[in-house]
Amino acid sequence: MRRLQPSGAGPLAWCGILLATTLALYLFQHLLWLVLPFLFGLIAYYFLHPPVQRLVFAGFSQEAAANITVGVFAALLIACFALMLPWFAAHAVSVQDTGQRYLQGGLALLDETLRALETRSRFMRDAHVADAVSSHIAAASEGFAQQRLPALMLGVAAWLPSFLLAPFLAYFFLRDGRRFQRFLARAVPNAYFERTLHLLYEVDRTTRAYFQGLIKLTVLDAVCLAFGLWLIGLSSPLMLGLITAVLAWVPYVGSILGCAVVVMVAATDFPGSPTVAYAAVGLFVFVRLLDDFVFMPLTIGRSLKMHPLVTVLMIFVGGAVAGVAGLLLVLPVLGVVMVIGETASIVAADPRLRARHAHARQLRLQSVTRDLG
Amino acid sequence: MRIFGRDDEPAALQPLRQIKLFSSLSARELKVVHGLRHERQYLAGEIVFDQGDEGQAIYAIVEGEVEILRIDGGGSHRLALLAPGEVFGELALLDQAPRAAQARAHGDCRLVVFFRADFMSLLETHPKIASKIALSLARHLGGRLRQANAGARQEGHL
Repeated sequence: MRRLQPSGAGPLAWCGILLATTLALYLFQHLLWLVLPFLFGLIAYYFLHPPVQRLVFAGFSQEAAANITVGVFAALLIACFALMLPWFAAHAVSVQDTGQRYLQGGLALLDETLRALETRSRFMRDAHVADAVSSHIAAASEGFAQQRLPALMLGVAAWLPSFLLAPFLAYFFLRDGRRFQRFLARAVPNAYFERTLHLLYEVDRTTRAYFQGLIKLTVLDAVCLAFGLWLIGLSSPLMLGLITAVLAWVPYVGSILGCAVVVMVAATDFPGSPTVAYAAVGLFVFVRLLDDFVFMPLTIGRSLKMHPLVTVLMIFVGGAVAGVAGLLLVLPVLGVVMVIGETASIVAADPRLRARHAHARQLRLQSVTRDLG
Repeated sequence: MRIFGRDDEPAALQPLRQIKLFSSLSARELKVVHGLRHERQYLAGEIVFDQGDEGQAIYAIVEGEVEILRIDGGGSHRLALLAPGEVFGELALLDQAPRAAQARAHGDCRLVVFFRADFMSLLETHPKIASKIALSLARHLGGRLRQANAGARQEGHL
């Protein structure tokens, strides 16, 4: 019997993996009402998985551990919400005003910076860059408020119920994840069984490493940013750090948006001194560099074992195919499709496994037709 | 009447109870192991795994018989014929080395399968159960080694 050793996915399989990821992102864009709650459910699942494992380790059954963990987490959330609700009701109007104030502060800083540049550059002065940018922003914000904002608010309101799916999904992933894995494995023919088990394990390992890495990265980012913003002297550094760290889940766009938020707050808190806003930008760039070269390789980078060129290329493809949702989903989807594609290509290309499967089918046919003459 | 005895074990656990590797586990511990198992059915002559395959799982026989064959050149010779309760492919638990022999269903058989990764997670979540299984596995491998030594002695190699 001659065995051919699997040699990994070839270029054709990799083309298939990239194409499948793009197609999946395109489909997901049309099913966002389901995909996003599923994604948040997965994040919650991987966030709650370690405490569930600890309870299992302490002697609880999987079901009891899931019930206790989700119950305690839900109770904490409800308690936080109940504590925050009176504060939010009292400050709802001022929160809106604060948002507008920060926006105005950010725009004032931009205008001030551009005018300062105009005094030093004749080319910019002749082009009236500051006036042009100000009028563009004013027109865009007016158009956004009149045309896009109501639709956006309605969209968010329509999506809200589907987000309630996330905690339910997380609970059932925690309670029945292993059972579901066994159920899937049952559908696989004997010849491919061991390889498929390995595939399921790898998919689980990849997604777990990615999402747990993402959670660790968010905590590290939030702590570093909060500490830096506190040193600069900005208000609510912890909240700002957390918001910007969560925004960074969306590659590129999220980071820029986070930086804009920090700069707006800095410009509003210290209207007379643009140095603080520049310091905030410097801090943001420093944390991003720290993130890209230290934190990311330690957390997410290890999980996805992908070539950086493929990652960057697919981030652009994800953005082009499915917008912001594509940017958010592209890495986890690529990670899962990569594992499935690589294993499926190895399994499909193994002539011995195919022969064993054909032999098993023949045996089954013989066993059911034995008495038919 | 025994309250905590083996008589109270659910019927679903009975196939696992007859497997030697799990004979030292309590009913509660067996229930944990039960949650990790996969069940497969093979027809007579069907290959369970091939010599040279990457081992990812350990198999235990619930019903039927399985023969272990060494493939040499064009032919094969039988190393063992295993009966219900016995386990095979156990080296996959220790390393990911290629399977040393082929396993083939001798008659129609029902097997329970434990994936290596599940066993490894058992070491972390339930170290007591894992250590009991590891001890049984060590005894089982010790028995195999003694058999091999006895065979070699009979052939005059030792």
